[in-house]
Amino acid sequence: MIELKNVKMSFEDFNALDGVDLTIGEGTAFGLLGSNGAGKSTILRLLSGVYKQTSGEVLIDGEPVYDNVSAKSKVFFINDETVQFGSMTLSDMRNYYKGFYPNFSDEIFDKLNAVIKLPEKKRLDKFSKGMKRQAIVITGLASGTDYLLLDEAFDGLDPTMRIIVKRMLVDAMLDRKLTAVISSHNLKEINEVCDTAALLHQGKLLFNRDLDSVKGSIQKVQAVFDKDYTEKEFGNLNILHYEKNQSITYLIIKGTEEEIREELGKKDPKVLDMIPLTLEEVFIYEMEGMGYDFNSIQ
Amino acid sequence: MFNIDLQSRTPIYEQLYKKVVELILKNELKPGDKLPSVRELAKSLGVNPNTVSKAFQLLERDKFIYSLVGRGSFISNVSADDLRESSFADFDRAVAEALDAGATKQELIDRINKAEP
Repeated sequence: MIELKNVKMSFEDFNALDGVDLTIGEGTAFGLLGSNGAGKSTILRLLSGVYKQTSGEVLIDGEPVYDNVSAKSKVFFINDETVQFGSMTLSDMRNYYKGFYPNFSDEIFDKLNAVIKLPEKKRLDKFSKGMKRQAIVITGLASGTDYLLLDEAFDGLDPTMRIIVKRMLVDAMLDRKLTAVISSHNLKEINEVCDTAALLHQGKLLFNRDLDSVKGSIQKVQAVFDKDYTEKEFGNLNILHYEKNQSITYLIIKGTEEEIREELGKKDPKVLDMIPLTLEEVFIYEMEGMGYDFNSIQ
Repeated sequence: MFNIDLQSRTPIYEQLYKKVVELILKNELKPGDKLPSVRELAKSLGVNPNTVSKAFQLLERDKFIYSLVGRGSFISNVSADDLRESSFADFDRAVAEALDAGATKQELIDRINKAEP
């Protein structure tokens, strides 16, 4: 289990994380969402022991991570900055990580490399960007850790590699209760791969929920009423957006379909159409609510 | 056979649930037929295994499938006729409500004619 307790992280005068509480249970695929600079990579770097938090606690299976070899050997971090060891070859890198991760599987490594065929004896700094990415991803999948952190991990991968990674994650989640923490801008990918997701904004957690419940959490409503209602008269509902165009009222409302139907039903609508927002739309409305208004930038 | 729309607004587990029920209704899945494992389905659809498990749990709760430890999940002994019969129960109730609300028989028939096949 991963636990962050009131974690703050400052870099000089910049607060990258401003009191984050987060628990990630084992066997889940957890999506970290958020705009640039929201704090996603900072969380992953804290979880892999690259940074030490300014205050609060960062725990893996109850142990603090920073400077703790036993906790860190349970975590593999697939960084978005690819490979640090330019002078090594792929087999050097494999041996390096094998020394660090006790459950490293040569079998998985060879099986994966049989598909993508990276040269084992070539220096990594002679690899293309995409090849470096593949090298670190197969090493991470082979490392046999309980926790796998993927920072924008799918972004640099081609479609075949994406499918391979997804299938490997399925096996690892079922076989050894792997917990994957995946940061991404790509909501489509998060939606497919993850079961739980958190949205970060300016170092704070906006929500942390089961993805299926996020999906049904905001409804887009079109209704026609006999009477002219103002926005205020829908006071019992959590309205994010209100617009009236002739007889049709357009509403974006937070809540489940049933509760909204019940509440609006009291006003005797002649027409009442409701569809849940997509994950992408939920994301945009949540961000808008926090003052991150993309409409003002045109 | 278990194609689902990953872009849809409907949660993936719900789509899977409905897909299995639909296949039972169409008699493409018969009592005793084995479902693919959670692992196979998650891999072939490219989705999270917990999502697939959730659909299976709901199908089991609603008695559409049963699972045998170590052997997998199987379609229960519900026939397509039983399922159809239960959807008629909902239909009968809706018809009664509409008639109470003053709808005419002809209006209901028109609606049925307009319904998609």
